[in-house]
Amino acid sequence: MKMTTRVAFDNMKYHRSRNILIGTAIILTTMLLFVVPTVGKGMVDLQFAATNRLYPAWHALYRNVDENTVRKLAAHHDITRYGLRGDAGYMNLEEASAAMLYVDQEAMELYKWNLMEGNMPVKEDEIAVSEGILDELGQQGDIGDTVKVPYQIFRGGELDLTQQKEFRICGFLKDSKESREKRTYIALVSEDFLRNEIPKEEIAFRFLLQIDDTGDPTTDEIEQKIRDIAVRFGIPENDININHDYLEANYVDPVFIPAIIVIMAVIMLAGVITIYSIYYVSMNHRIQEFGRMKAIGATKRQIRQIVLREGMCIAAFAVPAGLLAGTLVSGVVLKIFVTASETNSGYVKMIKEILEAGEINIYSWWEYLLAAAVTVCTVYFSLVRPMHVAAKVSEVEAMRMQDAGRKSKSRRKGYEYLTIGRLVCRNLAEDKKKSVITVLAMAATGVFLMIVATVLSCADPRESADGSVLGQYEIFSDIEENNKEHPERKWSEVQKDNPLNETLMKQVENLPGVEGVDVFSSLHVSGEPFMEEDMNFLNGVPEKYAGELEKNIVKGKVTYEELKSGDKVVADRALLFHYPDLDVGDRLKLTVHDGDRTFEKEFEIAAIGQYGSGLTNYEYLIMAKEAVDQMSEYNSSKFFHVFADKDYDSKLHEALKEIADASGRIELRTWKEDYELWKSSQAVIGAACYIFLGILAVISVLNLVNTMINSVRVRKKELGMIQAIGMSDSQLMKMLQLEGLFYTMGTLFISVGLGSLAGYPVFLYAKNQGLFEISAYHYPVKVAVIVAVALLLVQLLLAAGISRSVRKDSIIERIRFSD
Amino acid sequence: MKTDISKILIVEDLVKCYGTGENMVRAVDHTSLEIERGKFTAIVGRSGSGKSTLLHLIGGLDRPDAGKVRIEGKDIFALKDERLAEFRRKKIGFVFQDYNLIPSLNVWENIVLPLGLDNRKVRRQDVEEVLVKIGLADKAEAMPNVLSGGQKQRTAIARALITRPALILADEPTGNLDSQTELEVISLMKSCVTDFGQTLVMITHDEMIAQMADRVIEIMDGKVVND
Repeated sequence: MKMTTRVAFDNMKYHRSRNILIGTAIILTTMLLFVVPTVGKGMVDLQFAATNRLYPAWHALYRNVDENTVRKLAAHHDITRYGLRGDAGYMNLEEASAAMLYVDQEAMELYKWNLMEGNMPVKEDEIAVSEGILDELGQQGDIGDTVKVPYQIFRGGELDLTQQKEFRICGFLKDSKESREKRTYIALVSEDFLRNEIPKEEIAFRFLLQIDDTGDPTTDEIEQKIRDIAVRFGIPENDININHDYLEANYVDPVFIPAIIVIMAVIMLAGVITIYSIYYVSMNHRIQEFGRMKAIGATKRQIRQIVLREGMCIAAFAVPAGLLAGTLVSGVVLKIFVTASETNSGYVKMIKEILEAGEINIYSWWEYLLAAAVTVCTVYFSLVRPMHVAAKVSEVEAMRMQDAGRKSKSRRKGYEYLTIGRLVCRNLAEDKKKSVITVLAMAATGVFLMIVATVLSCADPRESADGSVLGQYEIFSDIEENNKEHPERKWSEVQKDNPLNETLMKQVENLPGVEGVDVFSSLHVSGEPFMEEDMNFLNGVPEKYAGELEKNIVKGKVTYEELKSGDKVVADRALLFHYPDLDVGDRLKLTVHDGDRTFEKEFEIAAIGQYGSGLTNYEYLIMAKEAVDQMSEYNSSKFFHVFADKDYDSKLHEALKEIADASGRIELRTWKEDYELWKSSQAVIGAACYIFLGILAVISVLNLVNTMINSVRVRKKELGMIQAIGMSDSQLMKMLQLEGLFYTMGTLFISVGLGSLAGYPVFLYAKNQGLFEISAYHYPVKVAVIVAVALLLVQLLLAAGISRSVRKDSIIERIRFSD
Repeated sequence: MKTDISKILIVEDLVKCYGTGENMVRAVDHTSLEIERGKFTAIVGRSGSGKSTLLHLIGGLDRPDAGKVRIEGKDIFALKDERLAEFRRKKIGFVFQDYNLIPSLNVWENIVLPLGLDNRKVRRQDVEEVLVKIGLADKAEAMPNVLSGGQKQRTAIARALITRPALILADEPTGNLDSQTELEVISLMKSCVTDFGQTLVMITHDEMIAQMADRVIEIMDGKVVND
């Protein structure tokens, strides 16, 4: 073994107590550095896996493609995979519907459809059905049996007259729960059947495709290619259907990686500050040791190497331990994340299933390598300065006195008489830099903790739900603006026969428990500066909200009365994210769509405000309801906000649901659902943040432990001396407590003081960004108290432990002590 | 037991061993002695003879395996640690070979430290008097790192004197000093004994110093061999 390594290794063993602290800091740092990317990636992988299970795998499909185009598309170099589907017609069933489709093998795979048993239909009279279809047909059968099927074929763009035919069952498909509930099924027929029934020129395929994804294109790039190909082959925009869910789940969100990098940088910083400060605090004490080495001939380089290798020796033990701890912790954390979610959607269920089945390997070699590499860098950065300091030691100075290198005054005005408190002040002032570094290193984590705590304490699920839903229930029309298959769902169409009418209102108002209904009106507007595909609405807010509307204006000034004119609007701040050029005083010339009628009107942005999504309903041009209603010839009521006497009443919910179900055109949302969702998501995020910050706090508390242990070690002889001249054990204890109290109070003062000050702008930022629908500032009292109590407790225990360990040696042993 | 008030210190059958088994060393081996008030006693002996251990036991810095130490009639080892510390700061003044000043305190503060620990008022005049006596009147604000060895030891002596203890225990106080300074320090300590009526017990292996003492006790292998 090289001399420097040998010395470093022996040093590591000799300075055991300090190195255990550094080792602990490295273990915790490695653990966090491993857990953060592993859990982050694990969550993303689980979501991808769930998406891949639940959503079909085609990137896009083109509708109404003829055979000729199919051949040409198949040869396109950007299309790596394609499948075909041809819709032959529907079975003629009374209440249910069963589509008869020809689907080739590739399309089956892209749709993620599987036959439970049997084979795909090949012959003209073969069919694959499900149990559900047989039940609807009122027939029974197994593979090889025949069934009589009444059906209508698509011819000339419509369903033809019913025919009947005997099919032989060649395979079985599985019915999903939804298809059983909705009574909509799929049956597979052969290509021969399709071609026999429909004239060649009328066959319109659906062409399912996957785009070449070499070079990791983004979702936008893939979508662009899909559109480019469509244009080249004359496929109209209406006939393109892009599978956004699948694309987004499989191609990385660009925000994810920077977020992980920022978190890892924070951990690294905490690690560097802690390890550096532990070294700094004990370095003075070791000056003599390095001086001696220099005196017997060690070069500067060798001294640097000894310090570096000592650190790396510790890392060699601590990093594997940290990785092991990280492996255990990340598994547990991921499980908590997934199971803590209270929503029981199919998606979350699927994620739970995948995790429990262990189908996703959440650990990969690069996570271990990354955590280890970043930790080693952290240790190296922490050692740069101590290496430099140790190498700079002058041999003579160092040998002459222990505290060599430190400038001390030759005279100083002193206290006329001494008390324990004054003695403490003298001790702390003796090495101000050490005291300050210890306090700052701990306070850095404290400030960070207080800032995060501020945001988390402002995120109150009740307030968030109040912000996102007005009232306890919300009734709204089933509106879809951009679905070309359902033009009747456009708002301007719905307006003509609006289900949110007086009758509905009366019906709702008369339900027991309902205290009132607030109606919000809405009109669709378009034109400059808004983009064509972007939907913007005038949001008619009833007079009851005049106060809230005016109170939350952040720029400009307007009264509710003025908004009644119909010429002025308040723009919600959220609109400015999309159109940052908009400002108070701007005049917008917009086209108002009111049923079939459109007209031009100019609106002035009189003010910019900041409102919860419950009030805006994501409709950002706000004016008085009266003004919107006057502009419209139809009923433009878009939202009924139902206020009830209780947060939630299952009977009232049931009654409202019945009303919604009976209409078939309106939907219902409850305050409780939002509340539960906020509650569970805020709890999970809060727990994750606090666990993370808790570990960071432990890392930084190691600083306090080191500083206090070190300050006692260095002064072991001095303390023995003071005790020899009469300091009692209780006075010693008091002195150590007071010294610790300085660090604690210093840390608390900066953490809570600076953390609270810095927390407010961060709260404002979170509010502006609409994070958690935060609306009001809540000071994180609980966290501040917990931090204070925990810190005091740690310090009390530490001082007690240290003074006990000091007293283990007799006074005389301490006086004789020399390091 | 009747207490003889002329005897400030009575050591009865004191035993202190270090180590176990074969490595056991009897540093103090059934030692008994009595010291009179207001006298300067020198304890001499070779290195390793157990004289420092004896002094530390007398000062209550360590506890014996057997035997008693009575100071002004009080069995000091019957006191709990807390009480013993109080007793020490009131009744005993220590002077060590390597001064043991507190580096973060200036001369004045080092001197008044025992008073502070005892929650006693500092009479400025007393401290100034002591400073004059030790010849450091102009060094009250000096830090220990700029003092010479003799100045440091004189400060340590002042610290031991300031509480006016009945008994001053000195462990080779001149061991680190040159002969000129040594003489000054010993004279200073001796004058305290005469001026304030204090009792001085000093360990030394310097024949010349021993000769200045009222009484010389020789220790060998933990036992008093010559008195």
